[in-house]
Amino acid sequence: MNQNEELDDSELLRLMLTGDEQALVVLYRRRQAAIYRFAYQMSGSVALAEDVTQEVFLFLMRDGSMFDPSRGALSSFLLGVARNYVLRRVRGDHLLSPLSEDVESDEHVNAASPLDDLTRTESIESVRKAVLSLPERYREVVVLCELQEMSYAQAAEVLECSIGTVRSRLHRARALLLNKLQPVRAEPAETAVKSERCFA
Amino acid sequence: MNCQKFEDVVGDLARGQMMETYLRSTALSHLDDCARCSQRLRDEQALMRGLQALSVQMSAMSASNEAETRLRDAMRASLVPPPALAKVNPRRLYWLAVAAAVVVFIGAIVAAKWQWQPKGNKSVPVEYAVNDESPKSNQPNKPATVRNVETPKTAKPVIRSSRSTVATRRSPRAAETVANHATEIATDFIPLGNINNTSLQEGGTIVRVELPRSALVRFGLPVNMDRVNENVKADVWLGVDGLAHAIRFVQ
Repeated sequence: MNQNEELDDSELLRLMLTGDEQALVVLYRRRQAAIYRFAYQMSGSVALAEDVTQEVFLFLMRDGSMFDPSRGALSSFLLGVARNYVLRRVRGDHLLSPLSEDVESDEHVNAASPLDDLTRTESIESVRKAVLSLPERYREVVVLCELQEMSYAQAAEVLECSIGTVRSRLHRARALLLNKLQPVRAEPAETAVKSERCFA
Repeated sequence: MNCQKFEDVVGDLARGQMMETYLRSTALSHLDDCARCSQRLRDEQALMRGLQALSVQMSAMSASNEAETRLRDAMRASLVPPPALAKVNPRRLYWLAVAAAVVVFIGAIVAAKWQWQPKGNKSVPVEYAVNDESPKSNQPNKPATVRNVETPKTAKPVIRSSRSTVATRRSPRAAETVANHATEIATDFIPLGNINNTSLQEGGTIVRVELPRSALVRFGLPVNMDRVNENVKADVWLGVDGLAHAIRFVQ
Protein backbone atom coordinates (compact mmCIF):
# COMPACT_ATOMS: atom_id res chain seq x y z
CA MET A 1 0.00 0.00 0.00
CA ASN A 2 2.75 2.44 1.02
CA GLN A 3 4.65 1.68 -2.13
CA ASN A 4 1.59 2.52 -4.24
CA GLU A 5 1.07 5.82 -2.46
CA GLU A 6 4.38 7.06 -3.80
CA LEU A 7 3.51 6.25 -7.39
CA ASP A 8 2.17 8.87 -9.74
CA ASP A 9 -1.33 8.75 -11.20
CA SER A 10 -0.34 7.21 -14.53
CA GLU A 11 1.53 4.38 -12.86
CA LEU A 12 -1.36 3.74 -10.48
CA LEU A 13 -3.72 3.61 -13.43
CA ARG A 14 -1.50 1.10 -15.19
CA LEU A 15 -1.46 -1.12 -12.12
CA MET A 16 -5.18 -0.72 -11.64
CA LEU A 17 -5.84 -1.87 -15.19
CA THR A 18 -3.86 -5.03 -14.50
CA GLY A 19 -6.22 -5.78 -11.60
CA ASP A 20 -4.33 -4.25 -8.69
CA GLU A 21 -7.04 -3.37 -6.19
CA GLN A 22 -4.69 -1.42 -3.94
CA ALA A 23 -3.76 0.83 -6.84
CA LEU A 24 -7.44 1.55 -7.35
CA VAL A 25 -7.84 2.43 -3.68
CA VAL A 26 -4.87 4.78 -3.65
CA LEU A 27 -5.95 6.47 -6.87
CA TYR A 28 -9.52 6.76 -5.65
CA ARG A 29 -8.57 8.29 -2.32
CA ARG A 30 -6.24 10.70 -4.06
CA ARG A 31 -8.70 11.99 -6.68
CA GLN A 32 -12.25 11.31 -5.52
CA ALA A 33 -12.68 14.47 -3.44
CA ALA A 34 -12.01 16.85 -6.33
CA ILE A 35 -14.39 14.91 -8.57
CA TYR A 36 -17.04 14.79 -5.88
CA ARG A 37 -16.77 18.53 -5.17
CA PHE A 38 -16.85 19.38 -8.86
CA ALA A 39 -20.00 17.30 -9.35
CA TYR A 40 -21.62 18.77 -6.26
CA GLN A 41 -20.74 22.34 -7.14
CA MET A 42 -22.05 21.84 -10.66
CA SER A 43 -25.30 20.16 -9.63
CA GLY A 44 -26.02 21.07 -6.03
CA SER A 45 -26.97 17.44 -5.41
CA VAL A 46 -25.14 15.18 -3.00
CA ALA A 47 -26.67 12.05 -4.50
CA LEU A 48 -25.65 13.03 -8.01
CA ALA A 49 -22.14 13.89 -6.85
CA GLU A 50 -21.83 10.47 -5.22
CA ASP A 51 -23.12 8.70 -8.32
CA VAL A 52 -20.88 10.63 -10.67
CA THR A 53 -17.79 9.96 -8.56
CA GLN A 54 -18.51 6.26 -8.66
CA GLU A 55 -19.29 6.30 -12.38
CA VAL A 56 -16.04 8.11 -13.14
CA PHE A 57 -13.98 5.41 -11.45
CA LEU A 58 -16.03 2.62 -12.98
CA PHE A 59 -15.32 4.23 -16.33
CA LEU A 60 -11.65 4.33 -15.44
CA MET A 61 -11.68 0.62 -14.58
CA ARG A 62 -13.41 -0.20 -17.84
CA ASP A 63 -11.89 2.27 -20.30
CA GLY A 64 -8.85 3.54 -18.48
CA SER A 65 -6.69 2.66 -21.46
CA MET A 66 -8.27 5.63 -23.24
CA PHE A 67 -6.21 7.98 -21.09
CA ASP A 68 -3.28 9.48 -22.98
CA PRO A 69 -0.65 11.03 -20.65
CA SER A 70 0.69 13.15 -23.50
CA ARG A 71 -2.59 15.06 -23.61
CA GLY A 72 -2.65 16.10 -19.97
CA ALA A 73 -2.77 15.00 -16.36
CA LEU A 74 -4.98 12.18 -15.16
CA SER A 75 -6.71 14.57 -12.74
CA SER A 76 -7.81 16.73 -15.69
CA PHE A 77 -8.92 13.62 -17.58
CA LEU A 78 -11.01 12.48 -14.62
CA LEU A 79 -12.60 15.90 -14.23
CA GLY A 80 -13.38 15.91 -17.94
CA VAL A 81 -15.13 12.55 -17.61
CA ALA A 82 -16.95 13.82 -14.52
CA ARG A 83 -18.03 16.90 -16.42
CA ASN A 84 -19.58 14.76 -19.15
CA TYR A 85 -21.45 12.64 -16.63
CA VAL A 86 -22.66 15.69 -14.70
CA LEU A 87 -23.90 17.50 -17.78
CA ARG A 88 -25.65 14.38 -19.02
CA ARG A 89 -27.37 13.87 -15.69
CA VAL A 90 -28.27 17.53 -15.17
CA ARG A 91 -29.69 17.84 -18.67
CA GLY A 92 -31.63 14.61 -18.30
CA ASP A 93 -33.03 15.39 -14.90
CA HIS A 94 -35.10 18.54 -14.70
CA LEU A 95 -35.21 18.30 -10.95
CA LEU A 96 -31.52 18.94 -10.82
CA SER A 97 -31.48 21.77 -13.31
CA PRO A 98 -30.04 25.06 -12.10
CA LEU A 99 -32.19 27.21 -9.90
CA SER A 100 -34.53 29.36 -11.89
CA GLU A 101 -33.82 33.02 -12.35
CA ASP A 102 -37.12 33.93 -10.73
CA VAL A 103 -36.32 32.14 -7.50
CA GLU A 104 -32.94 33.73 -7.36
CA SER A 105 -34.18 37.23 -8.00
CA ASP A 106 -36.93 36.88 -5.41
CA GLU A 107 -34.43 35.78 -2.81
CA HIS A 108 -32.15 38.66 -3.51
CA VAL A 109 -34.87 41.22 -3.37
CA ASN A 110 -35.29 40.22 0.25
CA ALA A 111 -31.60 39.95 0.95
CA ALA A 112 -30.11 43.05 2.47
CA SER A 113 -26.85 43.14 0.57
CA PRO A 114 -25.00 39.91 -0.09
CA LEU A 115 -21.99 41.76 -1.36
CA ASP A 116 -21.62 43.76 1.83
CA ASP A 117 -20.63 40.75 3.88
CA LEU A 118 -20.05 37.64 1.85
CA THR A 119 -18.38 35.77 4.65
CA ARG A 120 -21.63 35.24 6.53
CA THR A 121 -23.10 31.77 6.22
CA GLU A 122 -26.32 32.92 4.60
CA SER A 123 -24.35 35.02 2.15
CA ILE A 124 -22.17 32.08 1.25
CA GLU A 125 -25.34 30.13 0.60
CA SER A 126 -26.57 32.89 -1.68
CA VAL A 127 -23.27 32.76 -3.57
CA ARG A 128 -23.65 29.00 -3.93
CA LYS A 129 -27.14 29.45 -5.33
CA ALA A 130 -25.94 32.18 -7.65
CA VAL A 131 -23.23 29.88 -8.96
CA LEU A 132 -25.77 27.09 -9.49
CA SER A 133 -28.05 29.43 -11.40
CA LEU A 134 -25.35 30.27 -13.94
CA PRO A 135 -25.57 28.73 -17.41
CA GLU A 136 -23.49 25.55 -17.67
CA ARG A 137 -20.60 26.99 -19.66
CA TYR A 138 -20.13 29.80 -17.14
CA ARG A 139 -20.79 27.64 -14.11
CA GLU A 140 -18.07 25.15 -14.97
CA VAL A 141 -15.35 27.81 -15.32
CA VAL A 142 -16.34 29.36 -12.00
CA VAL A 143 -16.28 25.94 -10.34
CA LEU A 144 -12.92 25.03 -11.82
CA CYS A 145 -11.10 28.36 -11.58
CA GLU A 146 -12.66 29.92 -8.48
CA LEU A 147 -13.86 27.04 -6.34
CA GLN A 148 -11.36 24.37 -7.32
CA GLU A 149 -8.67 27.04 -7.72
CA MET A 150 -7.32 25.63 -10.95
CA SER A 151 -5.24 27.69 -13.34
CA TYR A 152 -6.66 28.83 -16.66
CA ALA A 153 -4.49 26.25 -18.42
CA GLN A 154 -5.74 23.37 -16.25
CA ALA A 155 -9.35 24.47 -16.70
CA ALA A 156 -8.80 24.66 -20.45
CA GLU A 157 -7.48 21.08 -20.36
CA VAL A 158 -10.57 19.85 -18.55
CA LEU A 159 -12.98 21.76 -20.74
CA GLU A 160 -11.04 21.00 -23.93
CA CYS A 161 -11.02 24.61 -25.03
CA SER A 162 -8.49 27.43 -25.29
CA ILE A 163 -7.17 29.47 -22.37
CA GLY A 164 -8.67 32.58 -23.95
CA THR A 165 -12.09 30.96 -23.93
CA VAL A 166 -11.73 30.11 -20.25
CA ARG A 167 -10.65 33.65 -19.50
CA SER A 168 -13.50 35.31 -21.35
CA ARG A 169 -16.09 32.92 -19.93
CA LEU A 170 -14.82 33.54 -16.42
CA HIS A 171 -15.00 37.29 -16.93
CA ARG A 172 -18.58 36.98 -18.15
CA ALA A 173 -19.46 34.57 -15.34
CA ARG A 174 -18.18 36.96 -12.70
CA ALA A 175 -20.23 39.76 -14.21
CA LEU A 176 -23.32 37.55 -14.12
CA LEU A 177 -22.63 36.59 -10.51
CA LEU A 178 -22.25 40.24 -9.51
CA ASN A 179 -25.55 41.05 -11.18
CA LYS A 180 -27.26 38.25 -9.29
CA LEU A 181 -25.75 39.30 -5.98
CA GLN A 182 -26.21 43.03 -6.37
CA PRO A 183 -28.80 44.45 -4.00
CA VAL A 184 -31.84 45.98 -5.63
CA ARG A 185 -30.95 49.42 -4.41
CA ALA A 186 -27.85 49.41 -6.56
CA GLU A 187 -29.64 48.94 -9.85
CA PRO A 188 -30.77 52.54 -10.51
CA ALA A 189 -27.37 53.78 -9.47
CA GLU A 190 -25.71 51.46 -11.96
CA THR A 191 -27.72 52.78 -14.87
CA ALA A 192 -26.84 56.29 -13.79
CA VAL A 193 -23.18 55.47 -13.45
CA LYS A 194 -23.00 53.91 -16.89
CA SER A 195 -23.49 57.31 -18.45
CA GLU A 196 -20.86 58.77 -16.16
CA ARG A 197 -18.12 56.43 -17.32
CA CYS A 198 -15.07 58.32 -18.24
CA PHE A 199 -13.39 57.44 -21.49
CA ALA A 200 -10.56 59.89 -21.22
CA MET B 1 -6.52 54.38 -18.33
CA ASN B 2 -10.24 54.66 -18.95
CA CYS B 3 -13.12 52.66 -17.49
CA GLN B 4 -13.27 50.30 -20.47
CA LYS B 5 -9.64 49.28 -20.08
CA PHE B 6 -10.06 49.06 -16.32
CA GLU B 7 -12.89 46.59 -16.87
CA ASP B 8 -10.42 44.26 -18.61
CA VAL B 9 -8.08 44.12 -15.61
CA VAL B 10 -10.48 44.41 -12.72
CA GLY B 11 -10.77 40.63 -12.40
CA ASP B 12 -7.01 40.16 -12.19
CA LEU B 13 -6.75 43.05 -9.71
CA ALA B 14 -9.44 41.54 -7.49
CA ARG B 15 -7.86 38.10 -7.59
CA GLY B 16 -4.44 39.59 -6.88
CA GLN B 17 -2.94 37.94 -9.92
CA MET B 18 0.41 38.90 -11.32
CA MET B 19 0.28 41.66 -13.91
CA GLU B 20 2.54 44.27 -15.47
CA THR B 21 3.66 46.92 -13.01
CA TYR B 22 2.76 49.76 -15.35
CA LEU B 23 -0.70 48.31 -16.00
CA ARG B 24 -1.30 47.83 -12.30
CA SER B 25 -0.18 51.32 -11.34
CA THR B 26 -2.29 53.00 -14.05
CA ALA B 27 -5.31 50.92 -13.01
CA LEU B 28 -4.87 51.92 -9.38
CA SER B 29 -4.38 55.58 -10.29
CA HIS B 30 -7.60 55.40 -12.31
CA LEU B 31 -9.41 54.42 -9.13
CA ASP B 32 -8.54 57.80 -7.58
CA ASP B 33 -10.44 59.56 -10.35
CA CYS B 34 -13.37 57.18 -10.90
CA ALA B 35 -15.77 56.30 -8.09
CA ARG B 36 -17.63 53.88 -10.35
CA CYS B 37 -14.55 51.78 -10.99
CA SER B 38 -13.64 51.90 -7.29
CA GLN B 39 -17.03 50.45 -6.47
CA ARG B 40 -16.58 47.92 -9.26
CA LEU B 41 -13.29 46.74 -7.77
CA ARG B 42 -14.82 46.52 -4.28
CA ASP B 43 -17.66 44.40 -5.65
CA GLU B 44 -15.19 42.12 -7.42
CA GLN B 45 -13.17 41.74 -4.26
CA ALA B 46 -16.31 41.00 -2.27
CA LEU B 47 -17.31 38.37 -4.82
CA MET B 48 -13.83 36.93 -4.63
CA ARG B 49 -14.09 36.65 -0.87
CA GLY B 50 -17.49 35.02 -1.16
CA LEU B 51 -16.24 32.45 -3.66
CA GLN B 52 -13.20 31.73 -1.51
CA ALA B 53 -15.42 31.27 1.53
CA LEU B 54 -17.61 28.91 -0.44
CA SER B 55 -14.55 27.02 -1.62
CA VAL B 56 -13.27 26.68 1.94
CA GLN B 57 -16.68 25.57 3.16
CA MET B 58 -16.76 22.80 0.55
CA SER B 59 -13.11 21.80 0.80
CA ALA B 60 -13.83 19.01 3.27
CA MET B 61 -16.50 17.40 1.13
CA SER B 62 -15.83 13.99 -0.31
CA ALA B 63 -17.61 10.84 -1.39
CA SER B 64 -18.77 8.36 1.21
CA ASN B 65 -16.86 5.25 2.22
CA GLU B 66 -19.62 3.10 0.73
CA ALA B 67 -18.66 4.34 -2.72
CA GLU B 68 -15.13 3.06 -2.21
CA THR B 69 -16.46 -0.29 -1.01
CA ARG B 70 -18.73 -0.59 -4.04
CA LEU B 71 -15.84 0.18 -6.37
CA ARG B 72 -13.65 -2.45 -4.75
CA ASP B 73 -16.46 -4.98 -5.07
CA ALA B 74 -16.90 -4.03 -8.71
CA MET B 75 -13.22 -4.55 -9.35
CA ARG B 76 -13.22 -7.97 -7.69
CA ALA B 77 -16.27 -8.95 -9.70
CA SER B 78 -14.64 -7.87 -12.93
CA LEU B 79 -11.60 -10.04 -12.20
CA VAL B 80 -13.61 -13.25 -11.68
CA PRO B 81 -14.13 -15.16 -14.96
CA PRO B 82 -17.72 -15.90 -15.89
CA PRO B 83 -18.64 -19.30 -14.41
CA ALA B 84 -20.65 -20.42 -17.45
CA LEU B 85 -17.60 -20.33 -19.70
CA ALA B 86 -15.39 -22.05 -17.15
CA LYS B 87 -17.65 -25.10 -16.93
CA VAL B 88 -17.94 -25.81 -20.64
CA ASN B 89 -17.10 -29.46 -21.31
CA PRO B 90 -15.65 -29.91 -24.83
CA ARG B 91 -16.57 -33.61 -24.91
CA ARG B 92 -20.19 -32.79 -24.15
CA LEU B 93 -20.20 -30.16 -26.88
CA TYR B 94 -18.86 -32.73 -29.34
CA TRP B 95 -21.68 -35.20 -28.65
CA LEU B 96 -24.27 -32.44 -28.86
CA ALA B 97 -22.94 -31.48 -32.27
CA VAL B 98 -23.05 -35.11 -33.45
CA ALA B 99 -26.64 -35.52 -32.26
CA ALA B 100 -27.67 -32.32 -34.02
CA ALA B 101 -26.02 -33.49 -37.24
CA VAL B 102 -27.84 -36.85 -37.09
CA VAL B 103 -31.20 -35.15 -36.55
CA VAL B 104 -30.61 -32.84 -39.51
CA PHE B 105 -29.55 -35.79 -41.72
CA ILE B 106 -32.64 -37.85 -40.88
CA GLY B 107 -34.84 -34.86 -41.44
CA ALA B 108 -33.33 -34.30 -44.86
CA ILE B 109 -33.96 -37.95 -45.87
CA VAL B 110 -37.58 -37.84 -44.75
CA ALA B 111 -38.14 -34.59 -46.60
CA ALA B 112 -36.63 -35.98 -49.78
CA LYS B 113 -38.76 -39.13 -49.65
CA TRP B 114 -41.90 -37.17 -49.04
CA GLN B 115 -41.16 -34.92 -51.99
CA TRP B 116 -40.72 -37.81 -54.45
CA GLN B 117 -43.85 -39.73 -53.43
CA PRO B 118 -46.49 -40.00 -56.28
CA LYS B 119 -49.16 -37.53 -55.42
CA GLY B 120 -52.06 -39.71 -56.68
CA ASN B 121 -55.40 -38.08 -56.13
CA LYS B 122 -54.06 -35.64 -53.61
CA SER B 123 -55.69 -32.27 -53.95
CA VAL B 124 -53.19 -29.52 -54.57
CA PRO B 125 -54.31 -25.99 -54.34
CA VAL B 126 -53.42 -23.72 -57.22
CA GLU B 127 -54.27 -20.15 -57.74
CA TYR B 128 -55.77 -20.57 -61.18
CA ALA B 129 -55.50 -23.77 -63.13
CA VAL B 130 -58.60 -23.92 -65.27
CA ASN B 131 -59.96 -22.12 -68.27
CA ASP B 132 -58.51 -24.26 -70.95
CA GLU B 133 -62.05 -24.23 -72.20
CA SER B 134 -63.00 -21.82 -74.85
CA PRO B 135 -66.03 -21.56 -77.08
CA LYS B 136 -63.89 -22.47 -80.04
CA SER B 137 -62.73 -25.77 -78.64
CA ASN B 138 -66.08 -26.73 -77.17
CA GLN B 139 -64.42 -29.65 -75.44
CA PRO B 140 -66.38 -31.12 -72.56
CA ASN B 141 -63.43 -31.09 -70.28
CA LYS B 142 -64.35 -31.37 -66.70
CA PRO B 143 -64.24 -27.86 -65.41
CA ALA B 144 -62.59 -26.79 -62.24
CA THR B 145 -64.52 -26.67 -59.05
CA VAL B 146 -65.08 -23.30 -57.56
CA ARG B 147 -64.78 -23.06 -53.80
CA ASN B 148 -64.68 -20.39 -51.21
CA VAL B 149 -66.26 -17.83 -53.44
CA GLU B 150 -67.56 -15.17 -51.16
CA THR B 151 -68.30 -11.94 -52.96
CA PRO B 152 -67.55 -12.02 -56.66
CA LYS B 153 -68.46 -8.37 -56.97
CA THR B 154 -65.78 -7.12 -54.65
CA ALA B 155 -62.99 -9.65 -54.79
CA LYS B 156 -61.63 -12.21 -57.14
CA PRO B 157 -62.65 -15.66 -56.02
CA VAL B 158 -59.91 -17.98 -54.94
CA ILE B 159 -60.18 -20.95 -57.25
CA ARG B 160 -58.94 -24.32 -56.16
CA SER B 161 -58.84 -27.19 -58.55
CA SER B 162 -58.99 -30.87 -57.91
CA ARG B 163 -56.49 -32.67 -60.04
CA SER B 164 -58.41 -35.88 -60.22
CA THR B 165 -59.35 -35.21 -63.85
CA VAL B 166 -56.30 -33.30 -64.77
CA ALA B 167 -52.83 -34.76 -65.07
CA THR B 168 -51.00 -35.07 -61.79
CA ARG B 169 -48.25 -32.88 -63.08
CA ARG B 170 -48.84 -29.71 -64.93
CA SER B 171 -48.38 -30.18 -68.66
CA PRO B 172 -46.41 -27.62 -70.67
CA ARG B 173 -49.63 -26.52 -72.35
CA ALA B 174 -51.33 -25.99 -69.03
CA ALA B 175 -48.35 -24.08 -67.79
CA GLU B 176 -48.48 -21.88 -70.87
CA THR B 177 -52.17 -21.26 -70.29
CA VAL B 178 -51.55 -20.28 -66.70
CA ALA B 179 -48.80 -17.96 -67.85
CA ASN B 180 -51.19 -16.37 -70.34
CA HIS B 181 -53.79 -15.91 -67.65
CA ALA B 182 -51.20 -14.33 -65.44
CA THR B 183 -50.72 -11.59 -68.04
CA GLU B 184 -54.47 -11.03 -68.45
CA ILE B 185 -56.32 -8.13 -66.92
CA ALA B 186 -59.82 -8.93 -65.73
CA THR B 187 -62.65 -7.02 -64.17
CA ASP B 188 -64.28 -8.18 -60.96
CA PHE B 189 -67.08 -10.69 -61.27
CA ILE B 190 -70.34 -8.94 -62.06
CA PRO B 191 -73.41 -10.79 -60.77
CA LEU B 192 -76.03 -11.85 -63.29
CA GLY B 193 -79.53 -11.98 -61.88
CA ASN B 194 -80.15 -13.38 -58.42
CA ILE B 195 -77.16 -14.59 -56.52
CA ASN B 196 -76.90 -15.62 -52.92
CA ASN B 197 -74.35 -17.06 -50.57
CA THR B 198 -75.78 -20.55 -50.73
CA SER B 199 -75.33 -20.79 -54.44
CA LEU B 200 -71.84 -19.38 -54.11
CA GLN B 201 -70.82 -22.00 -51.60
CA GLU B 202 -72.08 -24.83 -53.75
CA GLY B 203 -69.30 -24.21 -56.26
CA GLY B 204 -69.50 -24.02 -60.01
CA THR B 205 -67.59 -23.78 -63.24
CA ILE B 206 -65.82 -20.95 -65.01
CA VAL B 207 -66.10 -20.94 -68.78
CA ARG B 208 -64.18 -18.66 -71.11
CA VAL B 209 -66.42 -17.16 -73.83
CA GLU B 210 -66.28 -14.40 -76.41
CA LEU B 211 -68.99 -11.78 -76.61
CA PRO B 212 -69.61 -8.80 -78.87
CA ARG B 213 -67.92 -5.74 -77.44
CA SER B 214 -71.29 -4.00 -77.31
CA ALA B 215 -72.18 -6.33 -74.45
CA LEU B 216 -69.94 -4.22 -72.20
CA VAL B 217 -72.57 -1.47 -72.33
CA ARG B 218 -75.08 -3.66 -70.52
CA PHE B 219 -72.77 -3.85 -67.57
CA GLY B 220 -71.98 -0.14 -67.51
CA LEU B 221 -68.47 -0.53 -68.85
CA PRO B 222 -66.95 1.94 -71.35
CA VAL B 223 -66.84 0.85 -75.00
CA ASN B 224 -64.38 1.98 -77.66
CA MET B 225 -66.69 2.73 -80.61
CA ASP B 226 -63.88 2.17 -83.12
CA ARG B 227 -63.71 -1.47 -82.05
CA VAL B 228 -67.39 -2.01 -81.39
CA ASN B 229 -67.57 -4.82 -83.94
CA GLU B 230 -64.81 -6.82 -82.33
CA ASN B 231 -65.36 -9.53 -79.75
CA VAL B 232 -64.26 -9.37 -76.14
CA LYS B 233 -63.24 -12.29 -73.92
CA ALA B 234 -65.18 -13.02 -70.80
CA ASP B 235 -65.28 -15.61 -68.04
CA VAL B 236 -68.75 -16.81 -67.17
CA TRP B 237 -69.26 -18.49 -63.86
CA LEU B 238 -71.82 -21.30 -64.10
CA GLY B 239 -73.35 -22.59 -60.94
CA VAL B 240 -74.11 -26.24 -60.17
CA ASP B 241 -77.62 -25.56 -61.41
CA GLY B 242 -76.21 -24.79 -64.86
CA LEU B 243 -77.16 -21.12 -64.71
CA ALA B 244 -74.76 -18.28 -65.28
CA HIS B 245 -74.29 -16.48 -61.98
CA ALA B 246 -71.58 -13.97 -62.74
CA ILE B 247 -69.37 -12.70 -65.52
CA ARG B 248 -66.07 -10.91 -65.78
CA PHE B 249 -64.40 -9.38 -68.81
CA VAL B 250 -60.86 -10.19 -69.71
CA GLN B 251 -58.32 -8.25 -71.73
